[in-house]
Amino acid sequence: MNIRAIKAITKKDLSSVTSNVQIILPIIIVPLIFCVVFPAILILISRFSDLNQATNLEPILKILEKLPEESSLAKDLATFTDLNQKLIFLFFNYFFAPMFLLIPIMGASLVAANSFAGEKERRTLESLLFAPVDIFSLFLGKVLAAFILAMGLAIGGFILYGLTINILGYPLFNRAIFPQSNWLVLLFWVIPSFSFLAILFNVAVSAKVKGFQEANQMSVFVVLPIIFLLISQILGAFIIDTKFLWLLGGGGLFISVIVLWRMIGHFDRNRLFESQIF
Amino acid sequence: MEQIIKAVDVYKSYHKEPVLKGLNLTVTKGQIVGLLGPNGAGKTTTIRLLNGVIGLDKGQLEVFGLNPEKSGDKIRSLCGVLTESAGLYPHLSGEQNLAFFGELYGVEKKEVRYELLKDFGLLEHKDKKVGSYSTGMKKRLGIAKALLANPELLFLDEPTTGLDPEGARDLLGYIERLNKDKGVTILICTHILKQIEELCHRFLFLDQGRIIEEGTLEEIEAKYLKEFLVRVETDVSVSKIPTSFQLITHTPGKLTFKLSNKSDIPILLRLLLEKGSVYSSEILGRDLETMYFKIREAGR
Repeated sequence: MNIRAIKAITKKDLSSVTSNVQIILPIIIVPLIFCVVFPAILILISRFSDLNQATNLEPILKILEKLPEESSLAKDLATFTDLNQKLIFLFFNYFFAPMFLLIPIMGASLVAANSFAGEKERRTLESLLFAPVDIFSLFLGKVLAAFILAMGLAIGGFILYGLTINILGYPLFNRAIFPQSNWLVLLFWVIPSFSFLAILFNVAVSAKVKGFQEANQMSVFVVLPIIFLLISQILGAFIIDTKFLWLLGGGGLFISVIVLWRMIGHFDRNRLFESQIF
Repeated sequence: MEQIIKAVDVYKSYHKEPVLKGLNLTVTKGQIVGLLGPNGAGKTTTIRLLNGVIGLDKGQLEVFGLNPEKSGDKIRSLCGVLTESAGLYPHLSGEQNLAFFGELYGVEKKEVRYELLKDFGLLEHKDKKVGSYSTGMKKRLGIAKALLANPELLFLDEPTTGLDPEGARDLLGYIERLNKDKGVTILICTHILKQIEELCHRFLFLDQGRIIEEGTLEEIEAKYLKEFLVRVETDVSVSKIPTSFQLITHTPGKLTFKLSNKSDIPILLRLLLEKGSVYSSEILGRDLETMYFKIREAGR
């Protein structure tokens, strides 16, 4: 392992992200919509109208009824008298969590998909492979770049999201309602674990395919399970609680380790080099 | 003399399409060697194999006495490579590119890159993005990149394509000095034979995945030049020339003879000098390009 080279590659890859409009634009705009615009609209609507009358909330109300009384969520919800408060609290602290998970994963996927495929497109992979750097360091440098970006997006998004909810929601609650403890587990356990998995997958695809477009299309497969998670949750299959998050993150990490272990065996300079020729 | 590169009966194919078919070659330490051949002959593949970035199917390779497949990183740390596409990052400036590759090669000193930028006339463009560089500038930066780690062995794949005559001349002069002053061994692949005719110590002719001929220009000449066309600038009139010398063409003041032996040239010149003045004489068709075509013809 070549720490100096890993650092150089990470730095270079991050700088190539910020200088590529095609990549940096969605990476900035999507989190802004998810973390600021969307919550702001929802809170403002709830402040000036009754959510219960606006839409059919039957399924959510049913979930609330099923909550065991001793759960922390039930206790929290009991402190609110207004249904609007309950819904806002629930939505932003719980229902939104999987959607939030999408932000760093999307960003990391985009960067990771670009990693080797982008080098191939710019015809720089060749000179990179001619350097005296072992393939694992090269790979790690690229994974690290995507991971740093994912965590930056997650933490940045978290701060923006928290500020939006707490500031705009203050007239409704007279206190900060965000974050609940589940968010720390989400931010520092589930997101790193899933981002890592998404990155590994995308870097592997990126190393195989010829160009960025192709790599990007493949990266959809990582986002799909999360969309499934989102839908299943809204349908009330389960409510995300902290224990579930610990399990989810652990599961993601477990799969990542298996994927990584399988990848190391398959990753070699010659194969990577030949993938750019044909 | 120490052999820095050795290939014995090397075979390589891409997706079942054979590229190298029994390649044998050696490069002696301290030489500039020209690897010549048409497109698709396997020149670039040879460079890749020698650097261990692709694997071979059959045969033996040694660079610095090491196996490129097993000790690739060690070999790559001693080699500089200019690939045909130069392989630079367009979003980084010239200096940033050198800094990045410097970190990969373990050369982080600022002075090293400034010296190279200066040598290749890029110092004033060091902060411009490489994407805005001209083809010639990219090529020069690519060579600066190849020289970053002070290599003992330099591979140059088409180093002069895209350079203007001035740039090409400067580069070839630089390569020659590098070889003379630092003893760097250099393998050059090119199509532009005229440029490297006087630069290279030895030539390897690659065709359809094999070396079909090799040697110094003199050795190759001795083998392929079966007759000598000599053009003499003289005031001796045609009628005074004995018929034993075969005269091919004559224009006023210029005569072209066909001789079957190199040793006949001084005899001819002496004879002409007895009868008049001789201003110049040269052997025609002994340049690298003519040899190249003769060798390829003979190979068919």
